Amino acid sequence: MTVTARKGGTGRVGRSREPIVITGIGAVSPLGHSFDAIADSLLAGRSGVRAVDPDAFSREKHQFAAAVEAIPTPPDAACVCDGDGFAGLTRLEQMVLSPVAHAVADAGLAPLRDRLRIGLVLGIGAEHLKMWELDFLAGGKQVFEPSRDDTLVHRVAGMMRLRGPAVTVAAACASSGYAMALGRSWLDAGWVDACVVGGCDVLSPTALAAFYNLRALSRRSDDPSRASRPFDRDRDGFVMGEGGACFVLEPLSAARARDSRVYGELAGVGMSSDAAHMVTPCSDPAQAARAITQALADAQVAADAIDYVNAHAAGTPVGDAAEAGAIRRALGSASDRVPVSSTKSMSGHLISGAAAFEAVACLAAIARKAVPPTLNLDHPDEQCQLDHVPHVARERRVRVTASNSFGFGGANLCLVIREAA
Amino acid sequence: MHGSILNAEAERATCGVASHALVEATLAEIPGLRDAAVPRGVAALPPRFLRHCDEQTVVGVRAVLAAIAAYPEPRPSFAEYGVVASPCQAGRIATAQSLAMLRTAGGVAISPHIVPQCSLHSVAGAVSVALGMHGPNIGVSGGQHAVSEGLFTSLTLLAANAALPGVWLVLSGWTQEPRLDASGKPASSSDEMAHAGPICRALAMALTADAGSAESDRPRIALHMPAKLRVARTGLQDRSAADEILACARALGTSAADSWTHTCPWAAEIRLVPRGAAGEAAESFPRASLQREAA
Repeated sequence: MTVTARKGGTGRVGRSREPIVITGIGAVSPLGHSFDAIADSLLAGRSGVRAVDPDAFSREKHQFAAAVEAIPTPPDAACVCDGDGFAGLTRLEQMVLSPVAHAVADAGLAPLRDRLRIGLVLGIGAEHLKMWELDFLAGGKQVFEPSRDDTLVHRVAGMMRLRGPAVTVAAACASSGYAMALGRSWLDAGWVDACVVGGCDVLSPTALAAFYNLRALSRRSDDPSRASRPFDRDRDGFVMGEGGACFVLEPLSAARARDSRVYGELAGVGMSSDAAHMVTPCSDPAQAARAITQALADAQVAADAIDYVNAHAAGTPVGDAAEAGAIRRALGSASDRVPVSSTKSMSGHLISGAAAFEAVACLAAIARKAVPPTLNLDHPDEQCQLDHVPHVARERRVRVTASNSFGFGGANLCLVIREAA
Repeated sequence: MHGSILNAEAERATCGVASHALVEATLAEIPGLRDAAVPRGVAALPPRFLRHCDEQTVVGVRAVLAAIAAYPEPRPSFAEYGVVASPCQAGRIATAQSLAMLRTAGGVAISPHIVPQCSLHSVAGAVSVALGMHGPNIGVSGGQHAVSEGLFTSLTLLAANAALPGVWLVLSGWTQEPRLDASGKPASSSDEMAHAGPICRALAMALTADAGSAESDRPRIALHMPAKLRVARTGLQDRSAADEILACARALGTSAADSWTHTCPWAAEIRLVPRGAAGEAAESFPRASLQREAA
């Protein structure tokens, strides 16, 4: 083994320059729970936004969201938790354990767990806040009487019998993307043989109320499925959703040796911070553009080689315009020709789970040779001039994708995901 | 570009600790820290920046400011540094108060600050915004393994990004979690709060890819990853996160060999190599930890 440094990009240093590929997918989302179901929904332009039980949210005027109706039970033998045990978990625990278990099963890693160093990185932005709230709403007092319980990532690692490093990361709405980046770094360094990465989130009354009071949510309660309208001139905020996705990452050679299905390569990562404001997106696109540029350089991909950009665009007036500026700055003249869409128009904003879910959208575009659309993009905002894909999917060969995610605290992330060689 | 912090076989990684500071505050002292002046020679915070922040963010930002003030001259620019903050159960007091309000007054009473200021990434985001750091800012852990996860993530960032000059790592937690009444207010008496009650503790460390020379006057953090997993995960560690933070901070202030070693739940070992210690940092790991399992 030798230490090698990649040229260009962030100059990642590791003992391997091997491509890191995705060999397993597990998902829980308003648009389905399997790769094929989600791909079908995205390319058909289905909205997962709907009216929800008003009793769940303590707000008369906000009764819609992209909710998950039933969380799939983990596959048999994937984890130590059987159906009854799963039913006894909290909704957040179910929302995380289910995609982790499905991803491990999908990759065929379950029988190999005792022989491999399998890491786990979960992007969960507000685990304690959600766990305390779920307990409180069920009549518990955990928030008043703290305990020293393990965090979810360690409990899930235990239930899954994963013995590698286990870490929770948070970068607000970019959390699950940062989890993917960290897991890829562990593989590059040779610290794990495989890594389960991703993240999920759950709807909760406190989060809905807080975002509503922040005036970040759309108020189009009369027509929920048309409320999420990224890049549209009449956008008025985002629609909250829940769910997310998890992936198994491993070196390409290991995947080939096991004859695994390879969904795609996590080819590049770019990360930066605006350092401007805790909540408001920075109007200067320099740092967001820098994350995109870093990711392209890390993947050794030119801007005009990008076939699809999955935008973070949540439908907020300031954020969408700032992102459009960042894309234009990073891609230059290629931004006139690279299709851009926001799948949050269909899935809602999955918060911590958004980046991972949108990585599924990129993989779907590669597999199905089509770019998913932005729903409700009736009148593109002049401040958001890009090659939009409004209303219906656009068929085209997709080899290289870029997916943006931005979060509170000025966190910027871009992932380059491409067709595996 | 900076050199690799990984050794040739990538099982060990070493970084330098260029500066550090520990800040502790009781509940009664925290309001004063929100508005306190910054140390001389350190850039001012944005006006009223810490007003809505969680207690661990307040103490964490103050720890970074103190560590910057203590940074050896010539002090570098931190504009390209990353930030990793690993708190333990941050945001509990504000969350309890929000939930109590949710029950009595409904969603209209929920503060818009609760998510941005009381989530896992809040400390890291605040340090990045307050001090103008454009590297990645990441919240980590949130629980009892905050020290393991924070150090491991910081070393990962430095290993993965050769262009990153350094990472500010902030570890924080309470010595004992404050008791809260039904409205979410701390239930300790004012005397307890001022003197004997819970203490919020934060350790800030400037970790640099440049570990310095073998005889450096700079302490180093060395990580050893076992090539094969030797043990199953062990569950919670004996010491609380706050106690572990204090042990690390004390060791940073001494020159005693073998002063602080930390074992992660996944059997990786993290060791503090004191300033002036001779030899390669990784060689000071016990040989037992280098034994590999048979394939």
